[in-house]
Amino acid sequence: MAATTPVLADPLFDELDDAPGLRRPRVLLIGAALAASASAMALMAALAVYLRHRAAVLGAGDAFFGEGSSVPLVNANMNVFTLTMSLVSASWIAYALRRRDRGHAYLALGLTVLFGVASIVETVYLFQQTVLPVRSETGVLFYAVTGGHMAMTIAGLIFLVVMGIQAFGGQLTGRDAEGMTAATLYWYATVGVYYVVWYAIYVTK
Amino acid sequence: MTITESAPTTAPVGERPAPAGDPRGVAGILGSGDHVVVGRTWIVASAVGLVAAGVAGVLVSAERLDTSGIDVVGREWFAQLYAFHPVAGVFLFLLPLTLGVATVVVPLQLGVRSLAFPRAMAFAVWAHLVGAAVMVGGYLADGGPFGDDSDGVQLYLVGLVVVVVAEIAAWISIAATVLALRRPGMRLTRVPLFAWSMLVASLVWLLTLPVLGGVTVLVLLSYRYGLDFLGASDGAYDWVAWVFGQPAVYAFGIVVLGLVGDVVPVFASTRHRMHKVAMGCIGAYGVLALGAWALPGLDDDLVPFRYEAPWVAVSFAILLPVLGLLGLWADTARRGKPRLASPLLYGVGAAIMLAMGVVAGAVGAIEPIKTIVDGKGTTLASTTWSTGVSHYVVMAATIALLGAVTYWAPRILGAAMAEGPSRALAGLVVVGTVLLSLADVISGLLGQGSRLTGVADNVDAVEALNLVSLVGGALVALCVLGWLLLVMRAAASGQEPPADPWGGHTLEWATDAEVPIRSEAPLYDARHGQEAK
Repeated sequence: MAATTPVLADPLFDELDDAPGLRRPRVLLIGAALAASASAMALMAALAVYLRHRAAVLGAGDAFFGEGSSVPLVNANMNVFTLTMSLVSASWIAYALRRRDRGHAYLALGLTVLFGVASIVETVYLFQQTVLPVRSETGVLFYAVTGGHMAMTIAGLIFLVVMGIQAFGGQLTGRDAEGMTAATLYWYATVGVYYVVWYAIYVTK
Repeated sequence: MTITESAPTTAPVGERPAPAGDPRGVAGILGSGDHVVVGRTWIVASAVGLVAAGVAGVLVSAERLDTSGIDVVGREWFAQLYAFHPVAGVFLFLLPLTLGVATVVVPLQLGVRSLAFPRAMAFAVWAHLVGAAVMVGGYLADGGPFGDDSDGVQLYLVGLVVVVVAEIAAWISIAATVLALRRPGMRLTRVPLFAWSMLVASLVWLLTLPVLGGVTVLVLLSYRYGLDFLGASDGAYDWVAWVFGQPAVYAFGIVVLGLVGDVVPVFASTRHRMHKVAMGCIGAYGVLALGAWALPGLDDDLVPFRYEAPWVAVSFAILLPVLGLLGLWADTARRGKPRLASPLLYGVGAAIMLAMGVVAGAVGAIEPIKTIVDGKGTTLASTTWSTGVSHYVVMAATIALLGAVTYWAPRILGAAMAEGPSRALAGLVVVGTVLLSLADVISGLLGQGSRLTGVADNVDAVEALNLVSLVGGALVALCVLGWLLLVMRAAASGQEPPADPWGGHTLEWATDAEVPIRSEAPLYDARHGQEAK
């Protein structure tokens, strides 16, 4: 446990740490931003194919979800509320860590993880309530996009938990809260993507 | 707890002592996160992809010698080889080679010891190799695009997704390195043009490759469940082919701009004219190459013109940064005393090929042109004109990367490459590229379809042009083989590389780790002083 931040085992950065007015390079934050962009682009691409196919089906005068299919909106709405609350708690984590308030940081982290797990449970329940065969054009697209977002949610949760474990280990406090800030940034992107998915798939069926 | 690997230095590679106790040999390569070792692994991996793509390309060209039928490899294998050539050329050769050079050179240019996320980069190269093997395995099992074996097609698609994910991870590492790990004094505006171009390329690919990955997963799932609404096995190519077409293909040319921007001032022994303007031009080129997946192009007449307009605008607008950079480089050379060393020859040749590619692309976007192809309104986008444009750009990038490895050989290989043969190869590979690409462009204008369809008239002329194209391709292949031999000879020579054989301007050539950074050319400053600016 020599250094406090990953990647920075370089005297260059020790020098930077000591220099007044200079901040540590935000490697993890930048990496998380890039990864979040890439994840969002992948899901948006899948969603674009979904919307393109839906427009073609509707343009031909057919029903997109077909007879007997149903995709519940209530579960999706609950998921939006859950993830919106997680945005607040995720912001709280970084805010508390920057002020070395570890107690509130742990509380906020716990809440965010709880909301994240609740979102996954909600999505699984939504899948159970959905009447839509996987072996259909609509089914493949629907489950690929929504399942892809669930995978992004799981990745964001793992990122939060790993950074949380480091925080419990005594790292990432005060100015070194970069790791948790990076995890929350990825989480913001996850929630942002869900807003788009929610509107495009569930609201505008 | 730290993540960073062993302690590389900014000193020349050949002078780097191996830390005692570190594993050597295969274990040293497998377990290393050192950017030089990982970069070399990328380059070796790309050589394998090069051979595979080259063989497929020659077979496709040979099939075009007689347009009356498909006799050399057979109709079934022709379609698969036709798809394999660009897929392997881009994802198994060009991008890995770009990543390999960037992995070695970018940290050195920035004056830092390691990449950001070195283990992610190591993961990327090994995951890429596994994905590439799975892709090729899919092809061999009669899968891949246009394949008949269902499992083989799925194997190919899984391999492609793994390759894309690996390349995304690698580009994240490169981008984070340039954005966050610069030496004190190395402001973003002072970053060498090659490192800057790699930042631009990484951002472009980080917004492009996930799109490819996302749609590939959808194609895989639809195929898995026996649905063909995204295309059957041919969907595995149709949903990927936009990467090889105009204007997405321009993204591969970003490396050309970076390399030429670095070598022209060095071999002209002067400063780069308007370094920040050059950075802006490279950035503009990247922006115009971005988002190409959203542009429908002229080959789809069902698309209203308001959606075609951005495609046409991009096709012309991208000429501006290229012409701007060519002007800056000409002015830089005019103010100095150019030495015709092999990296400069490679660089100039690559820049000219790229310029010809974007000019051909712009001409192809002119609406009336498509009606003069055969008088029937055949679109150039579905002819070998588009193949020629892609060949120009991809070969420009290839030539630039051959030049990059030659230029940075003391850092990448630990030895210098033979200068005389390198100069000859630089000239010959440009000649081969012109023969390969120009013949495709002209035969496209005569109406030859890109998938060996649509040659109704001008058969003799088209077949003669196809022969020229094949000769050009063969010449390129011979040049690349010769270059590989030079690389292997240099790597095996064991000679201590000169510390700064070219009189470089940027930090990768620094032997003094304390050299101050007050401009984009710190070593030039050290030799000539700031007043020379």
